[in-house]
Amino acid sequence: MDQSEIDALLAGGAKPSQPAKAPARDVAPAPPPVAAAPLSEPHADGSGHVISELDTVTAVTERESNKVMDQLDQIGQLVNRQQKLITGIMGHEGAQSPGVQQAIHEVMSAGKEIQDKVFEAMDLMQFQDITRQKLERILHHLRQIHDYIVDLLGTGLKSDTQRPSISHTIAQTGTTPDENKAHADAVIEAFKSQKKG
Amino acid sequence: MKILIVDDSSTMRRIIINTLSRIGYTDVVEGDNGKTGLEKLGQGGVEMIITDWNMPEMDGLEFVKAVRAQNPVIPILMVTTNAAKEDIVEALQAGVNNYVVKPFTPETLKEKIESLLG
Repeated sequence: MDQSEIDALLAGGAKPSQPAKAPARDVAPAPPPVAAAPLSEPHADGSGHVISELDTVTAVTERESNKVMDQLDQIGQLVNRQQKLITGIMGHEGAQSPGVQQAIHEVMSAGKEIQDKVFEAMDLMQFQDITRQKLERILHHLRQIHDYIVDLLGTGLKSDTQRPSISHTIAQTGTTPDENKAHADAVIEAFKSQKKG
Repeated sequence: MKILIVDDSSTMRRIIINTLSRIGYTDVVEGDNGKTGLEKLGQGGVEMIITDWNMPEMDGLEFVKAVRAQNPVIPILMVTTNAAKEDIVEALQAGVNNYVVKPFTPETLKEKIESLLG
């Protein structure tokens, strides 16, 4: 049984009349058409399709962000390996001329810059968590609307999935690192002084 | 020094772990909410806690209160998107020693950790 037959069975149809073509390499299959998802249509977990889709989006972005982090980790490890190899070359008799030593130092310095950029890119991945929390907040509001409609109509299931607590100030949170540092430090200082006094 | 990191975002845990390793702290344990955080803490050896606030099952504030009920001295750093003054004060009252608002730079995390350990 090939994939097209499995798909047909899952879709509740009969065996396809045309034999399926062998999948072409490097060509992604066309995604199935996506129907517009009504917010209030009950889903398996009692929530609307839109809520369920947004949940999937947050899970997928977290998974994909981790893949990016894996790649950055690997770049970092490769640069480390390169630096060790170059350090080894520096000790060789044939590499003692000032010109060669200068070139080696420049390569080492470029390697350090790459390493710093890798760390910087990893730090920037914080945007994923912030975006996820913004979506969580939207989901929270959608659930409230969904439950309100269920109450109003007296039919349907309320969304009862356990959710994380949500940030009430996330809407104002940007992606610039330390943009709230001065404010937070001032509050901490004021709290500590008040406690001392 | 063993540091416990509690955050429901695996991306954020990795970012914090990377920053810690750059400043010389490589012994870390992880929890993805307050409940698992308490389990890891119960296994012993943890000398510092870095926790998020907004998490499922048991949030960071409940977690901090539960930790403080059994350990009044362990340094706790809260790293969260909650930036409102009332939130920061609430966390400090619950027993947090210092507070970092996301997104942060590695220098800020380093500064806060060193101030807690110094």
